[in-house]
Amino acid sequence: MKPLVTFDHATLGYGRRVVLRDLDFTIPEGDFLGIVGPNGAGKTTILRAILKTLEPLEGGVSHAPNLRYGYVPQRDQVDYNFPLKVIDVVMMGRYDRIGLGRRPKPTDRDRACAALEHVGILDLADQSLNSLSGGQRQRTLIARALVGEPNVLILDEPTSGMDLVATTQILGLVRALHDRDALTVLMVSHALNEVANYVERIALVMNGGFRIGPVDEIMSPAVLSDMYGIPVEVDSFNGHRIVVARRNGNELDRPHVEPEPVVVEDTTEPNDA
Amino acid sequence: MLSAVSLFREALYGTLVIALACSVLGVYVVLRRIVFVGAALAELSSAGIALALWLSGQGLVMGLTTHPIALALLLTIAGVLFFGSGSGRARIPPDATIGVTYAVAGAVGILLISKAAVGEAHDIFLQGNILGITRIDTMILLAVAIPVLIAHTVFYKEFLFVSFDRETARTLGFRVGFWNLFLYLTLGLVIAFAMQFAGVMLVFNFLVLPAVTGLLLSRNMAGTFAWSIISALVAAIVGFSLSVPFDLPSGPAIVAVSGVIAAIAFLVRLSQRR
Repeated sequence: MKPLVTFDHATLGYGRRVVLRDLDFTIPEGDFLGIVGPNGAGKTTILRAILKTLEPLEGGVSHAPNLRYGYVPQRDQVDYNFPLKVIDVVMMGRYDRIGLGRRPKPTDRDRACAALEHVGILDLADQSLNSLSGGQRQRTLIARALVGEPNVLILDEPTSGMDLVATTQILGLVRALHDRDALTVLMVSHALNEVANYVERIALVMNGGFRIGPVDEIMSPAVLSDMYGIPVEVDSFNGHRIVVARRNGNELDRPHVEPEPVVVEDTTEPNDA
Repeated sequence: MLSAVSLFREALYGTLVIALACSVLGVYVVLRRIVFVGAALAELSSAGIALALWLSGQGLVMGLTTHPIALALLLTIAGVLFFGSGSGRARIPPDATIGVTYAVAGAVGILLISKAAVGEAHDIFLQGNILGITRIDTMILLAVAIPVLIAHTVFYKEFLFVSFDRETARTLGFRVGFWNLFLYLTLGLVIAFAMQFAGVMLVFNFLVLPAVTGLLLSRNMAGTFAWSIISALVAAIVGFSLSVPFDLPSGPAIVAVSGVIAAIAFLVRLSQRR
């Protein structure tokens, strides 16, 4: 598989503040990668380096030529008070192609309608964005990302604040886009249990540490216990993996100790399953 | 009533230009939740006017007395660069920064005007005096408003995108910082020139109330702009027309009419929900 983004011993941060050190991994074409970790761990920092909005402090991050990203931001980054129709929001995904100071053409609208149909909400095209449910809003933002005809679809916390049904539907849609369109997908989330059952590889970002590999490798009690710094078990139910922290009964007596940062080079190929 | 209004028709034309420009920019001001940036820029502009009068009172810069716009523009642009860049104040919440600017600029303006030799006669600059607008003033206002409105028409797509979702705009290669600064610059220009004639209260009114009316009455951007402009122009005409024959201060009369229009729009919105 052709590499799309390569981190070459990259150190990421802001000014003099280092967030993650010595990242060394590749995102190949066709990958379905979940970048997982708690808030503030550095997931968004990695995302910014991938999106070229953050330069590494050391090392390098290289991108394949003519790479186009379809970005689905966190839902709270979008202001739903704007009086915009769904179709208007989706057409924003083509604004960079339309050109400076020019207006969308009928062909742009046609493509926006096709993207809405692709995510199953064409009937909502003329609805106000702020009248939609959380799941419908997320589909709108995914359609906007797709209408730019990207090589890579990037979703930042796509299920944050959603209920079980909407979460399942959105993750199912993303999985279908990967399978059906052979789209490279990167999904950032803090919810390991949700992501692990949909993606093919996981990048765990935690406590300054970083580890990436196929789901089977990362979802092992040894790796997760090492990364989380507490005993962790991985159970399976109807083919779904569930991560649970093992109870030891004396949590009140033992303060949580931050583990040493763990940095492991990526030596694995993506899982094509 | 009409004959009294026609006596001040030049003033009405100037007020309509201010209403038009502010009501368009006001849609972004309200949607981006930077209402108090507009107020702070207006106070900075008035502080610039006061500074010009104080300097001239000290015999330092005589020319600025008749053209206080120079210092008003200077301070407003400084405010635009400060608020538009949005950097270097990470430890202070943005609304606190705006509040500090608003309070300090307002106080400095009052202090300077109180010590200006010609201050008492000129604090009308701070309050605004739309009845004093002449044909030349209207031409000056048009010379500022027309390029600003053309820029907002041509670059509507860019201003909308960076206002609605700056992160995604950035990933698609839009220079978010530049477009934000451009938007703030157009806002600063209009405020600095409008302030000379309309004063803080009326400029602030035209930046906020018509846009709120537009958002209450429309569910799309084009309709919001249209209703914002219509309500601003109607408020200017009705408020102005009532103020002259009834000997009311024009600015507050226009603000009062704007408030009534916004209240009607709110009731219309309520009735649509039921």
